[in-house]
Amino acid sequence: MKLLQKAINWATRKSPWIIHYNAGSCNGCDIETIDALTPRFDLERIGIVQQGSPRHADILICTGAVTIQTKERLKQIYDQMPEPKYVIAVGTCACSGGIFDGCYCVMGGVDSVIPVDVYVPGCAVRPEAIISAVQKLLDTIDERKKIKYVM
Amino acid sequence: MQAEQEIIDRLCEKFPFLNSRIHVQRQKRIFTGHLIKEEFEQVIRYLHDEMGFYKANHVVGTDEGENLGFIYLLTNKEGIILALKEIAPKSDPKINSMTGMYPSLERHERELVDLFGAEVQGLPEGPSYPLPDGWPKGNYPLRKEWKPEYFDKNTMTYNPPVNDNDKGKH
Amino acid sequence: MDENKERMESRVNAENKESREGTEGMDSKENRKNQERNRVVIPIGPQHPSLKEPSSFTITLEGEKVVDAVVGIGYVHRGLEKACESRTYIQNLYLIERVCGICSHTHSTAFCQGIEELAGITIPRRAAYIRVIVAELERLHSHLLWLGVAAHEIGFDTLFMYSWRDREKVLDILAEICGNRVNYGINTIGGVRRDIDSEMMQNILKMADYLQEQLKYYLDLVMTDQTLSARLVGIGKLSYEEALKFGVVGPVARAAGIMDDIRIIEPYAAYGEIPVKPVTDTHADVFGRTVVRIKEMLESLEIIRFSVKNIPDGDIAVKAPKRVPAGEVISRTEAPRGENIHYIRSNGTDMPDRVRVRAPSQANWQGMRHMLQGQYLADVPITIAAIDPCYSCTDRAIIVNSESSTEVMDWQGLRQYSIDWYKKRGIDVSQVKIPERKLYV
Repeated sequence: MKLLQKAINWATRKSPWIIHYNAGSCNGCDIETIDALTPRFDLERIGIVQQGSPRHADILICTGAVTIQTKERLKQIYDQMPEPKYVIAVGTCACSGGIFDGCYCVMGGVDSVIPVDVYVPGCAVRPEAIISAVQKLLDTIDERKKIKYVM
Repeated sequence: MQAEQEIIDRLCEKFPFLNSRIHVQRQKRIFTGHLIKEEFEQVIRYLHDEMGFYKANHVVGTDEGENLGFIYLLTNKEGIILALKEIAPKSDPKINSMTGMYPSLERHERELVDLFGAEVQGLPEGPSYPLPDGWPKGNYPLRKEWKPEYFDKNTMTYNPPVNDNDKGKH
Repeated sequence: MDENKERMESRVNAENKESREGTEGMDSKENRKNQERNRVVIPIGPQHPSLKEPSSFTITLEGEKVVDAVVGIGYVHRGLEKACESRTYIQNLYLIERVCGICSHTHSTAFCQGIEELAGITIPRRAAYIRVIVAELERLHSHLLWLGVAAHEIGFDTLFMYSWRDREKVLDILAEICGNRVNYGINTIGGVRRDIDSEMMQNILKMADYLQEQLKYYLDLVMTDQTLSARLVGIGKLSYEEALKFGVVGPVARAAGIMDDIRIIEPYAAYGEIPVKPVTDTHADVFGRTVVRIKEMLESLEIIRFSVKNIPDGDIAVKAPKRVPAGEVISRTEAPRGENIHYIRSNGTDMPDRVRVRAPSQANWQGMRHMLQGQYLADVPITIAAIDPCYSCTDRAIIVNSESSTEVMDWQGLRQYSIDWYKKRGIDVSQVKIPERKLYV
């Protein structure tokens, strides 16, 4: 079984599939996340592919301060993802609620709803930071532990 | 400012109750005072049918203490905005929907229902907007007396302090 | 104009041919579904590149045509206006800027203008010109973003990649002037916070020259390519009278022939001194909206060149009072998506009494519902994308009511359905070739 686990880790590490979810953001971080796919930054050249369905994804990139309305959907997506799964909270709003903390429809950061592995602050986050976050996350998969990185 | 003054003169002539309750704020801006429902409906009908105010940009809800205010922003072909204000008491906030004349107002009037507790009669059927499902009834966030710090998002209940001594602790 | 007529005729012929053929060529599962008079399709809110915001559409179908569409939004409603009432004006500046990440400068300009009017201060001319330059750069990046997204919706990923690569150049300039690629933070109450030096101006002009070539090329591509026209012409029609009735704003209105550009009707910042040519079209459909947006980008380049060459010297800000005198104000600007209105009321303290932000996308929802009626389901993604909805501006939720089956589709599924539907009819946009050109400067 140890060999199987190693094989899974290797497969996940070499070509993770990403799903991106907007839990109530202003779109700034979302555009920068999609920018990471465009030719200048190009995530695909390091093997990362964006998926539409949570059932095929390894990594969930979540932006925005979580609103009451999107809380259930976010939990649903997280539950639908198969193990091993990882969550990256992109943007200050996703890390802690940011400037909207305390507003009546905002729960807070993503970690008020699901566990987070990597926090990437910024308003908005640069695409280089997102790629770096994914890379740092992949480096920890080999060790089979979930480490919280604050960049 | 001549065009704006002409509009005011014509309106005051037709509706004497508007005298001294309507003024030119600056170029392309006319503001009125608060009108009750009957007065308001006469003026808006006249503006739509006879004076070429063909578009309603928006309706802004305000909290006026004992009353709720509704400011309808109307535009004519020269780009002059006329801010027509309606008022209704908080205890009985019934107003009529203007979507018959201005269909674009539907979503904005729905917001007034959710956020201020206005009762807009004649609004077409549709889902409530923008508050989430399960929002407790009787809680109108944009009224001044509603405080977000007393709202518990996990249980979706509003728990204001029972007596004045508790207020400092929040 | 004749070419367009031909295109429209060929499209109408294709429709007639299809209805005559009936359900030939479709597989038996679809046959069975089509026999039921009404069908329910619910595409669930996207985690997809195009709309980027959570929402839910409920679309009612009859056969393959849309009978009604209801949008369930409100997922991004954060309670911003209530938060504004317990923050000072300068704190609110940062909050208002984050209403929307794509048109943030317009919101902050409208807010600052309102406060400056209430406080009775006039900003220096140099600051007004800088606001105009950043506003036009924002318009460029927003329209290029839209072009890429619309191309992605119809399956034309090459154009998506090309236009977003061009957009990077605009973002580089913005980062140089303002310090950030998104949420620029260049406005303050009383003027702007950073100045533009001569080296930055040279870079702006170089970028403008590069972009001019690219945009002329995209305009030519959209107007002459047959495959693209087949996907865009005749879709999402909203005539002049309907556009007036539903009160739509921005490029949607301008594509129907209505001239409602706030930069011309009610010039703000330095637009009174800068020549702005109105851009309208008569097609009143998705094709018209595409053409209007590309032509607006070309016009923005002219405005930027004029501003850079004629910017006066002077200060960039005046001191603003902390306490704003009591009063109310309505402030309007022209966002990339249309007319943006802010209503601000102050009560003499350093916090506002009421702030109301009406973003342009909020005005376009009623018109959109009307546009979708009578369309094929396959045309729904591009129609919705063509009004360039900005949900976060709107929200801060397509229901199809039928007695028979309910089908649940997510946005990716709907998009793929639309691309496949057109492929079956011989229209495959991914085959459109963009020939190699020397694209880098």
